[in-house]
Amino acid sequence: MAAAPPDYQGIGTAFVSHYYNLFDTSRPSLAPLYRPSSLLTFEGEPFMGVDAILTKLTTLPFAKVAHQVTTSDFQPVMPDPVAPGMPAPPASVLVFVSGSLMVDDSPNPLKFSQVFHLSPDPANPMSYWVRNDMFRLNYA
Amino acid sequence: MATAAATGDATPQFKLILVGDGGVGKTTFVKRHLSGEFQKKYVATVGVEVHPLSFHTNFGPIIFQCWDTAGQEKFGGLRDGYYIQGQAAIIMFDVTSRVTYKNVPNWHRDLVRVCEAIPTVLCGNKVDIKDRKVKAKAITYHRKKNLQYYDISAKSNYNFEKPFLWLARKLAGNPQLTFVEAPALAPADVVIDDAHKRQMEADLAAAAQVALPDEDDGDM
Repeated sequence: MAAAPPDYQGIGTAFVSHYYNLFDTSRPSLAPLYRPSSLLTFEGEPFMGVDAILTKLTTLPFAKVAHQVTTSDFQPVMPDPVAPGMPAPPASVLVFVSGSLMVDDSPNPLKFSQVFHLSPDPANPMSYWVRNDMFRLNYA
Repeated sequence: MATAAATGDATPQFKLILVGDGGVGKTTFVKRHLSGEFQKKYVATVGVEVHPLSFHTNFGPIIFQCWDTAGQEKFGGLRDGYYIQGQAAIIMFDVTSRVTYKNVPNWHRDLVRVCEAIPTVLCGNKVDIKDRKVKAKAITYHRKKNLQYYDISAKSNYNFEKPFLWLARKLAGNPQLTFVEAPALAPADVVIDDAHKRQMEADLAAAAQVALPDEDDGDM
């Protein structure tokens, strides 16, 4: 078994704060968090890769958005070794967020939930990127 | 009016669905009606603010329970729950933004998928703005789909009652229905002068005389 990331809670907490801060203030700045193999499912619509994902996020038709995170849960994802006796790939982090957000001038909060799978960068194991990202508004 | 009877309420009430791209002025429009604005309720589970818009007709009062989103259409299509049991609809676009008119068929498609044929009005908002991009003669979708069309300007209250009057007549099945008392509206933020109003009405009348293009362009 791969060892759990030393501080998956800390990594997840820091990521959540960083991600929504960028999303609410400067969506183009989210680009470095994604890679060519990143997957986003946004309200059911699939996107792959930095370009497609950033195009989606930066063309959402609102001028202002503010996320308020209510809960965030984290788990280490510990892959098995690829073959007996081989070292297991490094662990990654699963993040599940729920909260509310306000769009433009609407005073009414919308509930949302979002899942991220964060993978360590092989070149820099202390750095993580978003391998999977699934976003949903929660309403009937 | 079976639904009104089912509620046990003496005043007939109808669920009115308001759809259209983000930013076309749906919320501004619905907030003009003052008693509706005071009595609105936000239902967080559906992400909807419901405004009870009451009108006084020669047959008595009528209430449109007008559903307005909290902006979720800016994230993608609306869930079916927004449309379910809708009895009337207003599809709104912004006459200063062509893309919002181009998206009208998508909103109409989503609406009829759930609600089938309910009385529906197409409204072109922001006609107070001089630099109009969607001209009267370009607005043809309602003629292909048998919807009613009105130019409106939420900020000036221009034609505010027209969509509701048309819907009330359809729902009552009586073209003789009229409004006998104007609802209290928020004061106009902008004024459209009479010459501009006459010009717009003339443009619409002229556009209605032009034959529809013959090609099979049901979805524009």
